[in-house]
Amino acid sequence: MTKRAAFAQLSSCWGCDQSLVDLHLKLLDVLPELEIVYWPAVVDYKLKDLENLPDRSIHFGFVEGSCRTREDEHLLRTMRAKSKVLVAWGSCSCYGGVQGLANQWTLKELLERKFLKAETITDGRIPDENVPGFKEDIRPNPDVVPFDVLLPGCPPTSDNTAEALSALLAGQPFDLPEKTVCDQCPKVREEKHIKVVHRTHEGKVDPERCLLDQGYLCLGFATIGMCGAQCPSVNTPCKGCFGPPPGIKDHGAKIISALGAIAEMSPEELKEAFPDPLGSFYFTDYAASYLSRLVGHTKEEEQ
Amino acid sequence: MTATTQRAASRTKAKERARFEPRIVAFCCNWCSYAGADLAGTSRMQMPPNIRIIRVNCTGRIDPSFILDALYEGADGVLVSGCHPGDCHYTSGNLRMRSRYVLLKRLLEQAGIEPERVHLQWASAAEGDVFAQGVTDMVERIRRLGPNPVRRRR
Repeated sequence: MTKRAAFAQLSSCWGCDQSLVDLHLKLLDVLPELEIVYWPAVVDYKLKDLENLPDRSIHFGFVEGSCRTREDEHLLRTMRAKSKVLVAWGSCSCYGGVQGLANQWTLKELLERKFLKAETITDGRIPDENVPGFKEDIRPNPDVVPFDVLLPGCPPTSDNTAEALSALLAGQPFDLPEKTVCDQCPKVREEKHIKVVHRTHEGKVDPERCLLDQGYLCLGFATIGMCGAQCPSVNTPCKGCFGPPPGIKDHGAKIISALGAIAEMSPEELKEAFPDPLGSFYFTDYAASYLSRLVGHTKEEEQ
Repeated sequence: MTATTQRAASRTKAKERARFEPRIVAFCCNWCSYAGADLAGTSRMQMPPNIRIIRVNCTGRIDPSFILDALYEGADGVLVSGCHPGDCHYTSGNLRMRSRYVLLKRLLEQAGIEPERVHLQWASAAEGDVFAQGVTDMVERIRRLGPNPVRRRR
């Protein structure tokens, strides 16, 4: 019996779809078992097509992206109502995504920066007609509706999505691994003594040795190992886009905890080492952090 | 909101501020500051009763998420008190805490949360007075900042 699946896109880059389509011929292994009832990224479905389906009639609902607009939240709630198993697909859906970093500012500041003060704009205006309207801040989708499966990644690799789909089709649980990116990384690790932190473009990388040992902020140690260490393998420091392993409550707190143990630098040097700590330590999961939640409370207080 | 209710609201707010008693979580290391706090107590030194001490073996054991969790759960401030640099029972746990503290302050600042809500001090087992003064200063600092926004909402 084929299973009905739906793929919904909220505010995001739709890279998760791209990653799924990148399966190429391997898609043929799973496609015959799926009946796709909603996938606007590929076929011209409308929102009403989804709304007209009976409740709980979709076996697997994949939600990508986070709720920046009111329409996003409506689509998310619709997906929850129509799906038996709801999958948070990608880091945007699990943690809020890169756009979660916008939670550092109020919506008013963001709108003014984007629509009035951007360098390329001559007669700016904030659009308010025929648009769904923005949400005050980004929250991780699991804070809005309950989810059954989390599949983080920016994007989840093609194989990640294929594995999750196969597990769901076989009726097996899909649990996130406890290991980190370091466990999958082929580079040689030594005792860590970090005396200086380099920006990614500075210096020359020794391709054999651990990037963190060489002073590059590689976040593999605090990041869930699902990607096969794609970035460190090609000498690019891990940005932590998959988020922390299960059980870690706050990605950035874990990162500074580890950095405190391995950095042999004076407090002044450490202070200067990271020009944008939130952007560096919470690349895709600032909205899920304690800090963002604390500030969210402050914003509500002011309104 | 009419002028009368507005006045009433601002009156209640002022009253609240006057009545505000900070709730501060203090993490003290077993070997120096916890003994220092003990000494301050047995020596009958006066300090405000606004802190709740949690004993940890070493300040190096304090994960930054403990501090953030305390703030999220409604603590108005978090005080971390450990051995002086060079005096750590485990040689360098306090220095690790110091590095974490510096980075945590940067995060708080960038996120728009008053970094003064978190404070790190050194107080040895013999410095009951330093500990008591540190607590007094901390309570003063938090009193000036006002309640944690999370707590105000609840």
